[in-house]
Amino acid sequence: MNEMRVLIVDDSSVMRKIVERSLRQAGLNPITVFEAGSGVEGLEVLSDQPVHLILSDINMPSMDGLEFLRQIRARNLAQGVPVVMITTESSEEHVKQAILAGAQGYIRKPFTAEQVKERVLPLVSAVVGG
Amino acid sequence: MMLNGIRMGAGLWHGNRKGTEKVMAQSLRENLHLVSDPANLDLSVEEVFHMMLGAACVSLEERPAQEAETITAVVGFGGLLSGACVFRSGSSAALGIAARLTGMEFVEIDDTVKDAIGEVCNMLAGAWKGRVPDLSANCGLSIPAVITGSNYHIHVQAPEFKLHHVYRFEQSAFEVTIICDGLQ
Repeated sequence: MNEMRVLIVDDSSVMRKIVERSLRQAGLNPITVFEAGSGVEGLEVLSDQPVHLILSDINMPSMDGLEFLRQIRARNLAQGVPVVMITTESSEEHVKQAILAGAQGYIRKPFTAEQVKERVLPLVSAVVGG
Repeated sequence: MMLNGIRMGAGLWHGNRKGTEKVMAQSLRENLHLVSDPANLDLSVEEVFHMMLGAACVSLEERPAQEAETITAVVGFGGLLSGACVFRSGSSAALGIAARLTGMEFVEIDDTVKDAIGEVCNMLAGAWKGRVPDLSANCGLSIPAVITGSNYHIHVQAPEFKLHHVYRFEQSAFEVTIICDGLQ
């Protein structure tokens, strides 16, 4: 597989590391990870760095994950890049909002590395062709 | 509708948001015994600790002796149910939980430990409300707040209901409390 460039957006640095570890356990190697602590920081990363995959929390201060997604689309950033939401919010309404905002995947916390593999690999193999 | 990871069911929605809340409000009140079911808390703790830490927790009957330094994480509920999920432990449990979660070792409650405990509380709150469909859809979560220190108490006046359970984690213990102070 080609090198994956992944943006992980979560206000918890611990959770960003756990998500990164889960991606590696899922077999995504080699990967370069860009971290952002909010949607605002995520947009800054995307304006400078091309990525193949975005994983984002929803509940975050300053700009939540859904607004982050809307802003990505509104600013034509990361076109064609799959976005997966990783969040404690799993109601149908949140999933519906995520779809409307442009998410392709949804992982509920708590999660296992196996779940990350199941939900993420089909999306990235389409992008990288690995 | 199918999104990668979640299948959208049919027939659970009752029109617009306002209409939904009206229906849900009635069912939340009517199903208070389900919302306040103590088993949901045990199952939520089991789920979070098994999936994220690969650890089992045993429910304890008695509150352990309090350590000098304690850590408390609070995640607020808002919407049809208002209240909070409160995680509290001594430093030994907090350090052990953070170590299992991150794969790192800690000797004191630093920012990473506080972050880890806040996330555990966040997942517990989400898992607990996710066990009641009406709550899952109509109750939001706040960003976790974490308090450390000693000799402090958290007071809530006249809650609608309160669940308080103590669990053993490795050789230490932690407490999880669900406080509901408003049910619309």
